[in-house]
Amino acid sequence: MRQLLQYRPWKGDLHSPWWSVWPIARVALGKLLTRRLFWVLYAFGLLLFLMFFFGSFLLSWAEAQMVVSGEQLGRLGDPARMFRLVRAGLRILNGSQETFQYFFAYQGGIVVVTLALAGSLLVGNDFASKSLPFYLAKPISRWHYLLGKMLAVFVVVQMMTTLPAIVLYGQHAFDDFNYFLNVDYFIGNETGKGPAGVVLLLSILGYGTLLSVFLSILLVATASWMRTTMPLIMVWVSLFFFLRLLANLLVDGMKLDPHWRLLDLWNDLTLLGQGCLGFAHESIKPAPQPEFWAAGLVLTGVCIGCLIYLNHRTRSVEIVS
Amino acid sequence: MFIELHNISRSFGSNHALVDVNLALESGRIGLLGPNGAGKSTLMKILLGLLPPSSGHGRVLGQNLATAGVELRRAIGYMPEADALVPGLEGAEYVALAGELYGMPRTQALRRAHEILTLLGLDDARYRKLEEYSTGMKQRLKLAQAIVHDPSALMLDEPTSGMDPAGREGMLDLFVRLGKEHGKAILLSTHLLGDIEKVCDAVVILHQGRILCQGPVRQLCRRRHDRYRLQIQGDPNGFLEDLRLEGVQVLHDNGRGEYRVQVPESWTNQAFFKLAQLHNVVVRGLQPDDEDLEEMFHRVIEENRDQAPG
Repeated sequence: MRQLLQYRPWKGDLHSPWWSVWPIARVALGKLLTRRLFWVLYAFGLLLFLMFFFGSFLLSWAEAQMVVSGEQLGRLGDPARMFRLVRAGLRILNGSQETFQYFFAYQGGIVVVTLALAGSLLVGNDFASKSLPFYLAKPISRWHYLLGKMLAVFVVVQMMTTLPAIVLYGQHAFDDFNYFLNVDYFIGNETGKGPAGVVLLLSILGYGTLLSVFLSILLVATASWMRTTMPLIMVWVSLFFFLRLLANLLVDGMKLDPHWRLLDLWNDLTLLGQGCLGFAHESIKPAPQPEFWAAGLVLTGVCIGCLIYLNHRTRSVEIVS
Repeated sequence: MFIELHNISRSFGSNHALVDVNLALESGRIGLLGPNGAGKSTLMKILLGLLPPSSGHGRVLGQNLATAGVELRRAIGYMPEADALVPGLEGAEYVALAGELYGMPRTQALRRAHEILTLLGLDDARYRKLEEYSTGMKQRLKLAQAIVHDPSALMLDEPTSGMDPAGREGMLDLFVRLGKEHGKAILLSTHLLGDIEKVCDAVVILHQGRILCQGPVRQLCRRRHDRYRLQIQGDPNGFLEDLRLEGVQVLHDNGRGEYRVQVPESWTNQAFFKLAQLHNVVVRGLQPDDEDLEEMFHRVIEENRDQAPG
């Protein structure tokens, strides 16, 4: 070792523990973003996004062509009316609440698969390789550590859902600025229901945040329990597949009370998300659905349960290590 | 005052890891000695504010143990016994991350990480993954992450574990210099008495959750009036033979004219010189050979065993 004459004291200001949250998230994200499998799954998600994006682009292009070819089309009927009908029929691509309903539903499936595979990298490794004492011996509380991990998952979910949704929204806004300015854009055009404008933008952000927050808490809890990939996948399959099957069997098959559908966590999430997007409760499929507040209560209860478990789990690491 | 504890106890169910621990230690280089299961790691975690005591109260570096865990860990650099590495990171990233977790700004943490790694001889390995580090390199890396933010105190748990002799010597020299030249308070927990002897001025002996003794090593090691260190010049054979005949036991001969001897009760120092004169041997040095740390440690453990009820 070098002579200690070269050792220099360091004098500087130390940040508050809250500043540690981002480095913890950054390290977790760094491990994930260097994995090829993540980019493969992200590419699948992008394919879905591109389908929506170019679908909307095609629709706008077709509308422009209809305007140009108005004289030829005029023999068939009123082009503007024809186009309104097309847009109303293709609500999945017209930037309305249905567009984002389907977008989040499809992207959500990719997100759940990605998180099942990434959970051990993002969180579980710290428990499996006993890295947790490294973090907890620093001047941060266990909640700063957990928040850092949740932030990493939050960013991943946002990258795959909210960010592409915002880009889709932006595409429609650039196409027709009234889409951004007029909350009653679709109602006025008779091309759809639900809000547009800033209300729709906030709804998208709300839906994305709901997904991100819930999935981040759930993943950190399950990954700290299971730690390695295969058991984590099995738990997530149980939570998002088997519980869904069970709920459908109980409600749709055996015609039991719709509150049994609350067992399906993904349904609870999409139910609340569609509520954010402005869907009326009665219009949400599959019917019947439990109330919005019941879904919110279940998700809140699951989150609280996860947080209690995480508090216990990290405390036992402090004792044992 | 570095550490001040009053009646600290900690139990895990029916297991009493610490029982009525009272400590008053000034800043310095302090060794924490004890066999496995003595409670050293539990005590360290309490001092770091990671574990609350079941009863009692205390202060470390003036901070209240019960309420100031975060401030304590900011002021203390902790080098754990276990690896506690973050897989997938490189050496420089790992130490810089530690700096950021201590609260350093990122650019300063990175700069300081490189500086510390160079100081500890890990400059060539700074861009290697942690999984590729040898045991000795991991120990130095753990020390690097403990000192990156230049703490005022260090808590080191088995810091030389698994190191080769040269690396161990270097590490121990570093601790002495950090304590003497840079004024850092050091708490060194180890099984290796040699490490304590080389580094520490004071020692705390812990056994079955209780403090058996604490204080400066020189005060705790008893003066032995029946043992001496003897340095002679000349042919030792006849001299040593006569010593043995007089009842003197030669405990150690280093082959260079230096001996440790144990004398009978009635012996006087003059007898050494008389015998030396008889055999034309020059006595170059004669000092009382006090109890060393290992002897003191075993004595204290035995005394405690004798005093233990039942």
